[in-house]
Amino acid sequence: MKNKLHDHAEIKSTPGWLGFLLLVLLLATLISCQGETPEGLLRIGLPEEPRTLNIWLASDANSRKILTQIYQPLYLRDPKTLKLVPWLAAEDPIYDEEKITYTVKLRQVKWADGSDFTADDVVFTGNVIKEFKVPRYSSKWKAIKKIETPDDYTVIFYLKKPTAVFLSRALTAPMVSRKEWEAVAAEAKTKDKPLRSLQNHRVERPLGTGPFVLKDYKGGAYLHMVRNPHFFGTGQRIGGHLLGPYIDGILFKFYGTSDVAILALKKGNIDMFWWGLQPGYLDDLTRDPDIAVFHNQKSALYYMGFNLRRPPFDDVVLRRAIATIIDKDFIISRILQGYGTILHSVVPPGNQFWHNPQVPHYGDGLNHEQRLKLAYDMLKAAGYSWTEPPVDPDGNVTKGKELHLPDGKPMERFTILTPPADYDPRRAFAGLMIQEWLRNMGLPAYARPMAFSALLQQVKGKRDFDAFILGYGSLNLDPDYVGTFFYSKQDKERGWNMSGYRNKTFDTLRNKQRGEMDRDKRREMLWEMQRILLEDVPYIPLYNPDVLEAARKDRCSGWVEKVGGIGSVWSFCTVKPIGS
Amino acid sequence: MLFRLAPGDPVARMVDPMWTPEEVEYVMSQLGLDQPIWTQYLFYLKNFFSGNFGVSFHYGEPVHEIIWKRLPNTILLFTTSTILAALAGVFFGKIAAWRKGSKSDTWMTISALVCHTLFVPWFALMLVWILGYKVGWFPLNGIISPEIWVDESSGFLVKALDVLHHMLLPLMTLFVVQMGSYLLLMRSSMLGTLKEDYIVTARAKGLSEKVIRNHHAARNAALPVITSIGLSLAFSINGGALTETVFTWPGIGKELVFAVSNNDYPLAQACFLLIAAVVLTANLIVDVLYAYLDPRIRY
Repeated sequence: MKNKLHDHAEIKSTPGWLGFLLLVLLLATLISCQGETPEGLLRIGLPEEPRTLNIWLASDANSRKILTQIYQPLYLRDPKTLKLVPWLAAEDPIYDEEKITYTVKLRQVKWADGSDFTADDVVFTGNVIKEFKVPRYSSKWKAIKKIETPDDYTVIFYLKKPTAVFLSRALTAPMVSRKEWEAVAAEAKTKDKPLRSLQNHRVERPLGTGPFVLKDYKGGAYLHMVRNPHFFGTGQRIGGHLLGPYIDGILFKFYGTSDVAILALKKGNIDMFWWGLQPGYLDDLTRDPDIAVFHNQKSALYYMGFNLRRPPFDDVVLRRAIATIIDKDFIISRILQGYGTILHSVVPPGNQFWHNPQVPHYGDGLNHEQRLKLAYDMLKAAGYSWTEPPVDPDGNVTKGKELHLPDGKPMERFTILTPPADYDPRRAFAGLMIQEWLRNMGLPAYARPMAFSALLQQVKGKRDFDAFILGYGSLNLDPDYVGTFFYSKQDKERGWNMSGYRNKTFDTLRNKQRGEMDRDKRREMLWEMQRILLEDVPYIPLYNPDVLEAARKDRCSGWVEKVGGIGSVWSFCTVKPIGS
Repeated sequence: MLFRLAPGDPVARMVDPMWTPEEVEYVMSQLGLDQPIWTQYLFYLKNFFSGNFGVSFHYGEPVHEIIWKRLPNTILLFTTSTILAALAGVFFGKIAAWRKGSKSDTWMTISALVCHTLFVPWFALMLVWILGYKVGWFPLNGIISPEIWVDESSGFLVKALDVLHHMLLPLMTLFVVQMGSYLLLMRSSMLGTLKEDYIVTARAKGLSEKVIRNHHAARNAALPVITSIGLSLAFSINGGALTETVFTWPGIGKELVFAVSNNDYPLAQACFLLIAAVVLTANLIVDVLYAYLDPRIRY
């Protein structure tokens, strides 16, 4: 009793800090006015903040999202036709076959500080890329022998040899201002590690020609951009769009998880979340009358690759049989919940001009049993056998046991490396499903999730693997990468030919198409390359997920949908506040 | 050294199919990663003793600047939560032990166990969903409301209260989770202390129950809690990555996870060095505090 009395007294004299806490809570809640959002301010949610504003260092998606609003290229892809349209350039480039030159006329464009953008800036950008060997761009600008500028608004690029990708790769590089970078570049050149020095330069106020300029960046909290009054596109019709911007600025906010970003979108704290959504969010979002959901194709390739250097995966019949067993319909309908496209070729079908629809479609349209039977027939005909075959003498499918290779030895256990489920659940689950399908066939497959950077090192660096599932989420629309991924000279440490694929016919075609300036002829070659690849199946293309994005329709309209989604400089130049 | 031995390629995450192997190799050489590991280690030691912790591979900024930008945010949130949780834990743990076997003890112990075993990201998301989204009392995430900060008419007080307002939800999460463990620790320590002879002596001397509980028992029982607070404060530097991620709190825990998972060696090394320094300092402070709190301890 006595104790109770004392305790009661103790509780009554609750320490001051609890009272203080309550007071603070009350006070803070009272001032919880979040600040009125001006009508013309577009609020975009990003999954993370940009790592850098230095265009030469930026390799993460979020930095690039910010910087593509500032630094602009000479040519940009039309969102509808996917063809390159003049952006900082005034017209299509003129190619001189004899001299091997491209002549580019420039628009009358101003940098955001009001100074003129001239041919000299283009030359300067090219020099920086070449002299500092800036990754991503330098290998494309290597094709240039020299650059001439007959006047302030004309640039002539002299190429060493005809280069088909020059236009789509080199002339789509972002242009920088001599004024902003000259002193930095000069100082960096004097250092031991010039590229590192250039990349480590801190950029506080990037100077570009884009529709927006950086006003304020508070690390970890927000990035505020305002309309560039000197933007060349304002009032111009380019790519069929009458460009603004019609908004006063963009406020980028950062969200560590999609869950919180979705709540922010529903609550009206942001107008758009610039990140692909998982299909699980869609039911909830589509029920909200103020939210619009956008589905667009990606320029992506998710695939299963084999190590062709290592038996038995050097046998094309085994690879084709595995391709036949994999049920891509199942992967799309169950793992991607219907939001994706089956891939049969290494160029996604959204890239209509370059995609070859006539490549072999292994097991297409067959059910599980039919697939197993077909794969069984293929392997049996090639000399494979089983301790217990997956198809009994009556033609019924059963669980196969212990596949034996044509030399009679049992197939050894092999591993399918995948990224972990927390990094990409789709690839991890696809790996598990493929493991099960292959085991039904008697193949001792084991899916093994591995930390992403370790996986890359294992596959690309050490080349110590059996099979893997990887993907490219944002492929360039020029399919030159087909030649890169499977070129025999790329079969080296850190090379892109991870499978170790070697085919002389393919290599010849690859080299030939790189110098073919006629687009239709080049397409023929690239179609043939795709056909060869799908005959040899070093990779089994699996799926191309849709990009699912959401934006508030009660706040703004006019998003431009394109391959890759609605987040692009096109959208930010055309989106309008509701009521404006 | 361990970072370099861990699997993973520091430039793997930077590259895209547009990079050639030659470009990748060039970048590796620019980062100094083409050197043998012992050369890199000697280079690190040399820089370390000259106070240079290097430049982050991904940020392109000196790592000490990145850390100094993030550290105050982490200290603000985690130190506040640790202190508040410890005070509350000691307070309620003391009462629970004093009322051992009563209903209030049972409830407090069960609640503490529940809090202690809560899955932090789930709990944080629930708080965001209920108190931030449904009820709307708190901002959903972040350290400030950008709309207030870009508005040039916002004064200092409004901005300060805005930070405070953003801090409350993550603070509540950490407070609840941490308080459970402090309460349990205090309760168990106090139960042991209450059996000591000097408590019987204090009762025999006719001291009031309140004085016995607060001055004789609780003060001695709090010693393990002090140790725990010291270590918690030290590990809170890196231990809040999940909370920081859910609330988009720009602290150092998230950076550490990023640095390790992306093989950003300079940043990861500096973060670990900082943690080691803070843990050592916290241990020293706790040892000194022991001597102050418990006159029996002399060094």
